[in-house]
Amino acid sequence: MMRATMSILLGAAAVLALPAAAADLSAGQAKAKEVCQACHGLDGNSTTADYPKLAGQYPDYLAKALRDYQAGRRKNPIMGGMAAPLTAKDIDNVAAYYAAQPAVLSTKPR
Amino acid sequence: MPAMMTQDEVKPRMPMTSTYLMSMLAAACLLCTSALAQAPAATPGTPAATAGGDPAKGREKTQMCEGCHEIPGWRTAFPEVYHVPKIAGQHEAYIVAALKAYRSGERSHPSMRGIATPLSDQDIANLAAYYARGLTQTASK
Repeated sequence: MMRATMSILLGAAAVLALPAAAADLSAGQAKAKEVCQACHGLDGNSTTADYPKLAGQYPDYLAKALRDYQAGRRKNPIMGGMAAPLTAKDIDNVAAYYAAQPAVLSTKPR
Repeated sequence: MPAMMTQDEVKPRMPMTSTYLMSMLAAACLLCTSALAQAPAATPGTPAATAGGDPAKGREKTQMCEGCHEIPGWRTAFPEVYHVPKIAGQHEAYIVAALKAYRSGERSHPSMRGIATPLSDQDIANLAAYYARGLTQTASK
């Protein structure tokens, strides 16, 4: 009995510890085509110096940036408008999509 | 607060070759000439605002950057936990804009504001040049 209770508790803990539903990369790509591509490129390696490269960036940083733009904590006339209509799910998907693209970005300069 | 790095994690410096020094000198002369041509009213010795950064000088000022940005997988601790962004290979102009926005307070982040506050425009240009191009590439992208 004790054993059964323990395994149920452990099972529940394992489920709760899982990250929120995994991001949907193809939905992220669709959103990127619609909203982000014009400036950041579909591959996330923008060719315009004013627009940051996103490919290979950490997804939690990208999602945080989008949430900050959305909430007005980070102010940018372009990004404020772009982020405004995104749902929380869109943000997770698009962040995961760009994070998964082949990166020019790295931690160490060449 | 950014975490401090241990000494053995610090990247070794590039050896200063004479070719390298010569090209730096040549670049410096070129920069001076174009600065004088474009901004005759500028105070002598003041680098023109438009001058590109010097990656080698930028490399000398990375003490406050490398403890977070150069460690793969490093996360912030405050006020929110997320990965510290990768900045190597980022566009030079974007890094300049980000540091200036942190310095002015327009972009708010407690650690980054503290780190950017003492930087001059030239420091920012140099750091951006180093992170965007590294020490081996001269052309800006």
